[in-house]
Amino acid sequence: MPDPHRTYEIRCPVHGFIRLNDWEKEIVSQPAFQRLRRVRQLAWTDYVYPGAMHTRFEHSLGVMHTATLLYDAIVRRSMPVLTSELAYNDEGLKRHRQLVRLAALLHDVGHGPFSHAAEELMPLKEDNTPYRHEHYSAALVRTHLRDVIENHALNANYDFKADDVAAILEGSSSARQALFWRELIDSQLDADRMDYLLRDSLHAGVQYGRFDLDRLIGTIVAIPGADGKGPRLGISEGGWHAAEALVLARYFMFTQVYFHKTRVAFDLHLQGALGNLLPNGRFPKPTANELADYVTWEDWKVLGLLSDGKGGDDGQRLSSRNHYREIFHTPESPNADDLDQLESVRSALGNLLVRDAEAEKSWYKTGKTDIPVISETRTKSVEPLSKFSSVVGNMKPIRQHLLYVRPEDCDAARTIRDNALGGASNG
Amino acid sequence: MAEKTSTWNRVALIAAMSKRAPKGSLNRTAIMKCAYLLQTIRNVPLGYHFTLYSYGPYDSDVLGDLDYAELLEAVTVKRVDHTGGYGYDIRAGAASDRIQQKATIFLQKYAEEIAWVLQEFGARSSAELELASTLVYADRETPVASQTISELVRKVRDVKPHFAEERILVEAKALQEKKLLKSVR
Repeated sequence: MPDPHRTYEIRCPVHGFIRLNDWEKEIVSQPAFQRLRRVRQLAWTDYVYPGAMHTRFEHSLGVMHTATLLYDAIVRRSMPVLTSELAYNDEGLKRHRQLVRLAALLHDVGHGPFSHAAEELMPLKEDNTPYRHEHYSAALVRTHLRDVIENHALNANYDFKADDVAAILEGSSSARQALFWRELIDSQLDADRMDYLLRDSLHAGVQYGRFDLDRLIGTIVAIPGADGKGPRLGISEGGWHAAEALVLARYFMFTQVYFHKTRVAFDLHLQGALGNLLPNGRFPKPTANELADYVTWEDWKVLGLLSDGKGGDDGQRLSSRNHYREIFHTPESPNADDLDQLESVRSALGNLLVRDAEAEKSWYKTGKTDIPVISETRTKSVEPLSKFSSVVGNMKPIRQHLLYVRPEDCDAARTIRDNALGGASNG
Repeated sequence: MAEKTSTWNRVALIAAMSKRAPKGSLNRTAIMKCAYLLQTIRNVPLGYHFTLYSYGPYDSDVLGDLDYAELLEAVTVKRVDHTGGYGYDIRAGAASDRIQQKATIFLQKYAEEIAWVLQEFGARSSAELELASTLVYADRETPVASQTISELVRKVRDVKPHFAEERILVEAKALQEKKLLKSVR
């Protein structure tokens, strides 16, 4: 009879050995999770950075590992906040440690082929906003993974339902007290970000994206709520340089890797090709009757179809690496005049303009970050990271726009662009 | 298809709300929760993806838009210290009118909704806004007329145990009287 208390180790290029219990190993063995071996983390980034061939599989293991380190550190350091503001006791914290591990492990299980690049093809919900991969993750947890979550022998110690895991992934009130830990899955101090920055940096082979994870783990805390507000995650003062490095790592990875003009072009081509390959141009919905069809869509299936010559013009361009060319870009943080200039060029290019990419709509966008920092003195005063770090305090939002034309139209487009700019050159 | 809202509309909304704030300024919680309430209760198509955290409905894109509004000088954002923490004082900036002009049609179309959210919620404290918006979020997760007000209050109490049940109930009743809850029978 298998031993439910046996533990396993998987070697990770970022974290070394990642330990799993028998329950987690069984989850990892499920086809719905193994599918992540066939979903690349950074889509077609390898066309620019050839090493970036890693998958959501190894990232998911890394997020579970990192979330656990962060969880244990917060519990060790912030018991007064957890007990007084969230009513935790030791037993509750032990239970939710396992729940956080499961949520972290499964947070990306719903990704479509080539990860975020495919997300533009998600269908619309009843409220006319598009589904996101988190909705598919929660749906897979409730269906394909329900049995292994609820019926493994180790769950006799926890009595978790699949809905408990899904509630954290979705951000639902049914997560109850455990909702606090959602910040470890999706926030400015989450394990997801910490893992993907280190992992993407390693595989892309760039020197950006690195920060002192050990120091962040050594200084992360639960910050008490002030003025009747709830508690949230922050950093004790000694760790603010590590938090600053995390913010900068994200900035550099965005500007140098995620929003690289050629990498973005391949995202656009993938979206075009998928729009051509998918029935009705959209993925199946995360509903009972469509989810099984959705999970058949992973990288291998798309690559097979492209190999068969399908996917239209965008598919051909992916297969031959004959991508659209960036003809114009705004500054990283365009002001109103820059945006007026963008409109002039866009208008002048007319039909030559084939794609328009915006940093704010990128799935890797940097967003606003201002991590709370709590002093280590008796006052326990709380200040934003931007007060400690002049670099973070002076960072501007990245709202760059990139305009693309077909390679064969480049010469004509450059002339039109330069005329629209009054003779100035751009890109 | 959903009505799409451009960046200009979202930034202009932040400019407009800051300029018309009942107390002359808003803080970041007010911007976040008013955007949530506008989108959820009054169906203003802002295109945000709010999900629930222990501090209420949240989408980092709102703060991204606020950051951009500050860069464009549609608003000024000043950090202010208070007991036990810090906050942000957000006021109309030098380019507020210019940015609002970029989204005149949108702001005119939703003028009534913007006035409503500012009147109902624009002067409330961060804690009150966290509580009210969490109640609305938990309400919208549940089918119409399918739970009692006590059940809704217990759900929110489980998420925010630092609030007394009586206080949550008072807020829930206030929202119910204004017909802002759908799930309570």
